[in-house]
This record gives sequence, structure tokens and C-alpha cells, in this order.
Amino acid sequence: MLSANRQEASRHGAYWLIVLPALLMLALLYFVPLGNVLLTSVTDPKPGLQNYGLLFTSTSVQKALVTTVRIAAITTFFALLLGYVVAYAMRAASTRTQRFMLVGVLLPFWISVLVRSFAWIALLGTQGPLNSALVAWGLVDEPVALVRNETGVLIGMVHIMVPYAVLTLYANMRGIDVGLVAAARSLGASRFQAFRMVFLPLTVPGLIGAGTLVFILSLGFYVTPALLGGGKVLMIAEYVAVQINDTLRWGLGTMLAATLMIAVLGCLWALSRVIDVKRLFGA
Amino acid sequence: MSDTRDRRDEIQQFVERTEGKVYPRRVFMGMAAAIGLAPVAARLTPAMADAKELVIVNWGGDAVKGMQRSWVDPYLKKYPDRKAVIDGTGPSTSRIRMMVDSKKVAWDVMDRNLHTALEIGPEGMLEPIDYSIVNKSKVRPEHAVEWGIGNYIYAMVLTYNTKKWGGMVPQNWADVWDVKKFPGKRAFRREPDGQLEAALMADGVPYDKIYPIDMKRALDGLKKIKEHSIFYTVIADGQNAFRNGEVHLGLLLNTRAWPLKQDTKGLYDWTWNQGISWGACWMVPKGATGGRAIWDFINVALEPEGQAELLKTNGYGPINPEATKLLDAEWNKVNPGAPENYAKMLPGGIAWYAKNATKARQDLIDALAG
Repeated sequence: MLSANRQEASRHGAYWLIVLPALLMLALLYFVPLGNVLLTSVTDPKPGLQNYGLLFTSTSVQKALVTTVRIAAITTFFALLLGYVVAYAMRAASTRTQRFMLVGVLLPFWISVLVRSFAWIALLGTQGPLNSALVAWGLVDEPVALVRNETGVLIGMVHIMVPYAVLTLYANMRGIDVGLVAAARSLGASRFQAFRMVFLPLTVPGLIGAGTLVFILSLGFYVTPALLGGGKVLMIAEYVAVQINDTLRWGLGTMLAATLMIAVLGCLWALSRVIDVKRLFGA
Repeated sequence: MSDTRDRRDEIQQFVERTEGKVYPRRVFMGMAAAIGLAPVAARLTPAMADAKELVIVNWGGDAVKGMQRSWVDPYLKKYPDRKAVIDGTGPSTSRIRMMVDSKKVAWDVMDRNLHTALEIGPEGMLEPIDYSIVNKSKVRPEHAVEWGIGNYIYAMVLTYNTKKWGGMVPQNWADVWDVKKFPGKRAFRREPDGQLEAALMADGVPYDKIYPIDMKRALDGLKKIKEHSIFYTVIADGQNAFRNGEVHLGLLLNTRAWPLKQDTKGLYDWTWNQGISWGACWMVPKGATGGRAIWDFINVALEPEGQAELLKTNGYGPINPEATKLLDAEWNKVNPGAPENYAKMLPGGIAWYAKNATKARQDLIDALAG
């Protein structure tokens, strides 16, 4: 009994030894810089919590935070809406079509965010094909401002976020027994009733999961708002970059980075209270 | 001139620049320090140790080739036993601070601007210019300060579409602010230097009353035009916005307006009138190890021949007025340092920015956001 325990312990010890290099590397390359960021946020320019105090006193910081949360929330809403439709269609399609659709969803993943942002500028700009067509058909007199403003930022971000929503929702929908919908129909429910009362409630965990994921990722956007916002949409990631690179208020920059991190961890914690995160992401 | 650069871009550039090549140790150390790698990592490099090499840091792109030809090659010709290399990764203030703080100073001479030199010099990030060796009589008095000496002139100029308004073109910033007379999208840079001055000039403030800048008045002016404008953060993006017809008038660097005019066969042009001229400058990080070579190099770079050459290759205006005499009338038309052009412009207020740049930048960003 005792020796079995010892064996067990030494086996665990061996496993730990194998994992140790990876852990050390993670500690060195991840946690040390992270600790440095947290430390800077309470020591620069002088020790104390005055950087965090700015969250409550600086209208500039508050405005950037509110803009970030607002844009992330709107992005999440539209990404879920579009993603739900695509995931639903994928769920219902034949295996062959499903595969094509999956490729279609994944393809944009391979294109850099920078390239996609410039592509939107070219497509939606005042001289772009869309505006040229609108003007040529007489639908509008003047080109519509679709980029270099908040609309542009939202279009760019929703485009990037839809695949995340689709994949998460699709994983969730695949686990739902379609027989349930058929049963509801056979019991006299209309198509809409069967969807609303049977299918939709079953996808709520997927919606919560996809929504949290998209929201968290949206909070940290940098390139898209910087290019598509025309310099007028300031989200927190760019705000941090300005503090680190230009104004050299590293205390303020690191404080905002830490705040963002805590907010994200908070979102994940809240998510884990509601649903089984591991199952949701297919682990 | 400062570009905000994404950390990922820096790493990307770092990878591209080291892949398959042997780099002089100090350049490599500089790149490593700049992206925050521990100096121990630098020991893994195959590069050779070379303490005598002068490391000149600029903003990359065509500036590497141009400065090599106009300044580094003549320097090496004059001092054949010395070595010098250009590192184009950009001496942003955050990177200078990181390097000076860590006491691993791999750079010797940096290409920035006078107001930044005046701003960060007193904070202990720079070495003062050694005017016992550097010949300050080669530049205008406003271009030689304790922490930096001018290396070229650049200007922020009113750039416009020549065909959009039936032969009529904007002459000054008041025209740019007049959206009825000149309808169309405007472009500005999302930085205080230049935009604040333009807003005040549009509001009728004469050159000699611009500084100290009345922030409220300037920002109110920019807010007035905000709905009709984009504010670019990357200079190349601003140039692009003109080229693809997205914007029709606004503020652009002369070094960008000139290629824009050539690329579009004159669809776009610029005026020196009410331009804002700035001195780019050499500055030296605190603790630089280049010694005498630093000042010798700066002296060579101030020679009129190389100065004139760099205008032809890169559009950088000679800071040495003597260079104007080496250029013909055609070239002097695009030369911000030519006396007739220089006189039309407002010399940027470096002393004001040295004290107020940080707050002005934040206030401008806040005023434009939301």
C-alpha cells in the first residue's frame, strides 16, 4: 500500500519533470513580463494606486473605455446574429455542403487583419465599387461614408468576429438532437414555434459562449479601429499604445492593460459560472 | 517624425532582418533591446563583436538607401578605416527610453526632430551635442539646440486636388476650413504638431501669435472640421487616402506630397504657403559609445553636397542653406529649405512642443475621439 503510493508519487514526479521545462519557459516568457506590466502600473511615475484612480477621475480614460465596451457589444450582437444564421444553415445542410461552408467560414482566418482592413477601405471608400454603384444607380447623390468612422470599425470587426461565432455556435448546435424539433412539429407546433420553444432554448449555452468569446476578443482590437476609424474611434488597445509609444505615460498604459486583462478574466469567470466552458469549446 | 508601430510589426521586422544574415553585434543588440529581449539572448547570435561601428538609426524604407548614399558613404570615404551602419527600425521615444533605462545603449545617432530632442534631453535620455566639434554655423540658428542639431527640413503642407473644384484650388488653411467653397473630404494627421497651427491659421491667427498655442481655440477649430475629415495615424495611410481619391485636400508631409504629385501626374499639388516647417535632427542617446565618430559623422552629414543629394533622392529639405546654391530652380521648387519657400512657412514652435507635446497630443486625441 505504502509502496504503491510512493510509486504513484514518483510517477507523478516524473511527469512533473517532463512538464517542468515548458512551465519554466512559460514563467520566464509570459508571467515575468506580465508581472512587470502589473508592477509598472502601480509604480510609474510613483508608487501607489493613482493610475487606477484615473479610471474614476479621467474623462479621457472613461470615454475610451465606454467606446470600447459599446463597440464590442454592438460587434457581439451582429456577429451572433449573422453567425447564428450561418451555423443554423450549416447544421441543416448536407455533409458535402457543410464542408464547403466550413471552408468558406475559415478562409478569412488566413488573411491578416491588416490586409482585410485595407480591403474594406478599398471596397467601401468614397471611390470604391460599392459607392460608385450606388451613385451610378442614382440611389444616393453623394457617396455614403462607410469607412473612416464608427460604421467602418463595426463592419471590419463584425467581419473578423463572425467566424468565431459560427464555429462556437455550430459546435453547440451539432450536439442538439434534431429529433426534438421533429417531435415538436408532430405534436402540432408550427415551424416557428418549434424553433422558438425547442431549438432556440437549447442553443442558449452556445449563444452565451460565443457571445462571451466574441466580446472578449473585441475588447482588444487595435489595427481595425486604427485604420477604419479615421482617427476618430479610440478604443482601449490603441489608447494603451499611445501611452506606451508616444506620451510615455507607462503607468497609465500598463494600468489600462491590467484593467483590460482583469475585465477579460472576469468575463471568463462569469461564463464558467453559467456553463461548462470546457465542453463548449470542445475540450 | 514618429510612427506608432505595432509590437508585432517590430517582431516581424526583427525576424526578417535577422533571418539568414549575419548582423553586426551592436545592431543586433539594438534590435533585441528595442523589442524587449533580454541581452542574454543576443549572445546566441552569430554576429561578430564590433564596438567601433557607428550605428545610425532612422525610420527605414527609402531613408536607409538615401542616407547611406548621401551621408554614410561620404563619411566612410573621408574616414576609410571606420565602419558605420544604418538601422532602419525607428528611434521611437519608447525604444530610446527602454534602451537608456537598461543601460545597454547600442545606438549612436538617431534621426528624430528638434522638439523631441528638447523634450526628452532634459529628462536624461540624451547626450548634449558637442559643439566644440560639431559646426553649428552650417545651419540656421533655430536648428541647433543643446540636445540636437538639425539634419534636414520637412514641412507639413496644404495638399490639394487640382481638378476637383473647376480650376479653383485652396490657397490657405481658411480655404481648407471652408467646406462650402471646397466641398470634399479633408485629411489631417492625428498628431498635434501641424494640425493645431493649421487650425489657428484658419481662424486668422498671424504667424507671430501662434505660439504659445491657445489649445481651446485650436481644438475647437479641429472639432469644427472633424465631420469632414479623416485623421491618419500612419503617414503612408494618409498619402494613400489622397492617391486613391478618398480625400481631396488637407495636410501632408512635403516628403509625401512630392511623390503623390508625381504618382498622379499632377492631379495633386501642394503649396508652401502657410506650411509648417520642422527641423528633423540628430540626437544621441545617453550613454552612446560611438565617441568622436558621432560628431565627425554629423559634420559630414551637414555638408551641402550630401544635403542637396538627399533632396533629389528622398525629398528631404537641406537644412544647410548653402545646399540651395547647388540645386537648380526646378529642384528648389520642391525644396522646403530654399529661402523663398522657407520664408512662406511658419517655423514649427519647438520650444512650445518640448514643454507641451504630451498634453497636447492627449488633448487632441480626446477632442477627435467620440
